[in-house]
Amino acid sequence: MAGGLLQIHDPLKPRGHAVGIDLGTTNSLVAAVLQGTPRAFPVDEGGSLLLPSVVHYAADGSVTVGARARELAVTEPTSTIASVKRFMGKGPEDAETKALGAYRFAKGSSVVRFEVKGGPPVTSIEVSAEILRTLKRRAEAALTGKVEQAVITVPAYFDDAQRQATRDAGRLAGLEVLRLLNEPTAAALAYGLDKGSQGRFAVYDLGGGTFDISILELVEGVFQVKSTGGDSALGGDDFDREIATRFLEAHGVSHPDAAAVTELLAAARRAKETLTQLETTELSALGKTFGVRRAEMEAWIAPLLQRTGVACRRALKDAGITREELDGVILVGGSTRVPAVRRFVSQLFGKEPLGDIDPDQVVALGAAVQADLLTNRERQDEVLLLDVIPLSLGLETMGGVAEKLIPRNSAIPTAAAQGFTTFQDGQNALDVHVVQGERELVNDNRSLARFRLSGIPPMPAGMARVEVRFEVNADGILSVSAKELSTGVSQAITVKPTHGLTDEEIERMLLDSIEHAEEDVHVRLLREQQVEADRILHDARKQLAAFSDLLPDDERREVEAAIIRVAELRDSATDSQALADAIKALDDVSRPFVERIMNRAVGTLLEGRRVDEV
Amino acid sequence: MRCWNCQSEVGAADVCPSCGKVQPVAPGTTLFDVLGLPRGVDVDKAELERRYRERSLRLHPDRAGKDDPRERRLSLERTALLNEAYKTLRDPEPRAFYLLKLHGLDLLKEEARAVTVPPSVLEEVLELREQLDGARKAGDDEQVSMLSDRVRVQSAAALSTARSALRRLEGNPSDAAARDAAAQALARLRYHHRFLEAAEASDEDEG
Repeated sequence: MAGGLLQIHDPLKPRGHAVGIDLGTTNSLVAAVLQGTPRAFPVDEGGSLLLPSVVHYAADGSVTVGARARELAVTEPTSTIASVKRFMGKGPEDAETKALGAYRFAKGSSVVRFEVKGGPPVTSIEVSAEILRTLKRRAEAALTGKVEQAVITVPAYFDDAQRQATRDAGRLAGLEVLRLLNEPTAAALAYGLDKGSQGRFAVYDLGGGTFDISILELVEGVFQVKSTGGDSALGGDDFDREIATRFLEAHGVSHPDAAAVTELLAAARRAKETLTQLETTELSALGKTFGVRRAEMEAWIAPLLQRTGVACRRALKDAGITREELDGVILVGGSTRVPAVRRFVSQLFGKEPLGDIDPDQVVALGAAVQADLLTNRERQDEVLLLDVIPLSLGLETMGGVAEKLIPRNSAIPTAAAQGFTTFQDGQNALDVHVVQGERELVNDNRSLARFRLSGIPPMPAGMARVEVRFEVNADGILSVSAKELSTGVSQAITVKPTHGLTDEEIERMLLDSIEHAEEDVHVRLLREQQVEADRILHDARKQLAAFSDLLPDDERREVEAAIIRVAELRDSATDSQALADAIKALDDVSRPFVERIMNRAVGTLLEGRRVDEV
Repeated sequence: MRCWNCQSEVGAADVCPSCGKVQPVAPGTTLFDVLGLPRGVDVDKAELERRYRERSLRLHPDRAGKDDPRERRLSLERTALLNEAYKTLRDPEPRAFYLLKLHGLDLLKEEARAVTVPPSVLEEVLELREQLDGARKAGDDEQVSMLSDRVRVQSAAALSTARSALRRLEGNPSDAAARDAAAQALARLRYHHRFLEAAEASDEDEG
């Protein structure tokens, strides 16, 4: 277990840049601190700072990420994965999984696997890794240097399985994940450091697929998260779904196919965005139109906003403060652009929310600040972030009751232990079931892991004393160890989430992706040389035919031999270098010949004829 | 105690005064020691917050032991303990349970069974639970909040009783009557808590 928590840093190893990544449900961003200021980088077509979190898998095995992939979703909905964040750490039989999108899931796995074109089914972790890999590459291009370390943000409300899945995706993308940072905390960090202020803040974060609320306090360089809450399945995408549902009702469509749903949701999203500026809009999809007024949309989403209000009141209560004691309310997430959301928030907290940092960028900027604080020794003394665990961690006890060991909103890192005993004579094993959540019964909470402590020496019932110890690190990730105290039999268990991947699976994927990366580079280089070979063969043959009078016989033999060599390797080479060498050889032997041709061309030009007429 | 790194004398310090390395927790360290606060029923809250911040800056894994695996491990353990001390001592109620635990009775463990709560108290709790269930089924929010208020008043009284008994016990650790009184009051408090949790749960289910 200790091995999982310890990270041995080699101070001599040169490191690339450390970046902050907002891995969002709808869009993802990457940022870094440059000359003391956090900045987001262009990551998609047209210099956009937002990379749509959409991954398309083509039949030829190629992968496209971003706006281009989002366009492909309309024609190929099942091979284009959007909102993959909603599937992180989830099993294929989760109710929510089934309700989302038009995807086809591979059977026989505890992890969600999407059936896509061009290869075997992909897990949500692999899909997320594609997004991270793209961000990494684009950041490397912008920084003209390697990017190896990252702080990746997660919704504060993410449970252990979702956090582990995110961390694994980072590893798979070739990143050392310095820290998983809660999104609202990141936002507050971006604001807090900007203003150098002290005080209490509420961060209201409504993204595409998740809602988070955090209460934070900044005092004397310590940024302390007082409480968090939220809903990991509520966001702006639900607004789109409300609009789409009304459209279907209005037109009496009951069973739209996958492509229709995708098209309709895209139209609904545009309508929602238009209604942030205008009072009315009309959406057209499936060859039909549907008028929506802003007031109507506000009525449809009101119940969703009420749900966020419940979480906000609970967070204030958990933090032990009233709304009057807040110094500011920070808005995060694209969905807070909806005027009804802003109005709701200002009524809820009794003050106008702050909004001077772009709500789309603020999380990535804060993550970049944290990455800088963690890696830049000169900045170490500025701010320390003290975060909390979002959901209670516990164990199953008699009667299917969940006993909490670490209550929600405990500051991390944290640890707790619980004693158990055997209930049968000679019992040599004990089953331990780790759960996360606030409900009284195990079945109402999220099952994180089950394991068996074996090797308990035979003793009468009630004599064995087993201590189960939980440890949560600064990323909010749990490890568990168990020990039989009277004999010292101990067992360290790395908790692998029920719906996660094993370390072996991650390793294999990592190896696969490295192998494929090499293969891919190889194929690309060879393809480039083949194109180059075609070009040079075409030119050389044309020149031989047209200017044979400029070529002495001995030179001609050399050039022809070189041409044959290139032509052969053009079709047979598997090694791009061999072909490149042959191309260079042809280039070298034909240089005097080409120079003579150029001289004649210049002379011809002087005679008043154009080169292309030669 | 000597520093594991530079061998100089460290006493009970969390960080070695000469080389600055994080030190293991000495046996017998109380949560009061962890925060450097005087042990007692009453705690200066502003002082507690200040010391928590100051120690976090010194011990947190983001600050300490970045290059040394052993120190990193100690930093994690120390910070976890510091967080536990903060959580336990910040509020009067968990602080009272912890003080009783220091006097050898952990009500949050099986030892709780050793405390006999008078039948009249149990009867009242059961009665209240029944009323709560009834009010919940009838959707009578007003009744739920009225019952909750009543239990809140009772639990405040129980806490106050426990705290004065604990003050006596801190003054004289062999005062068995004070220990019993504290245990009784805190056991009652646990019942009140379960009631309030149940009432709150019904609140949230209704949205």
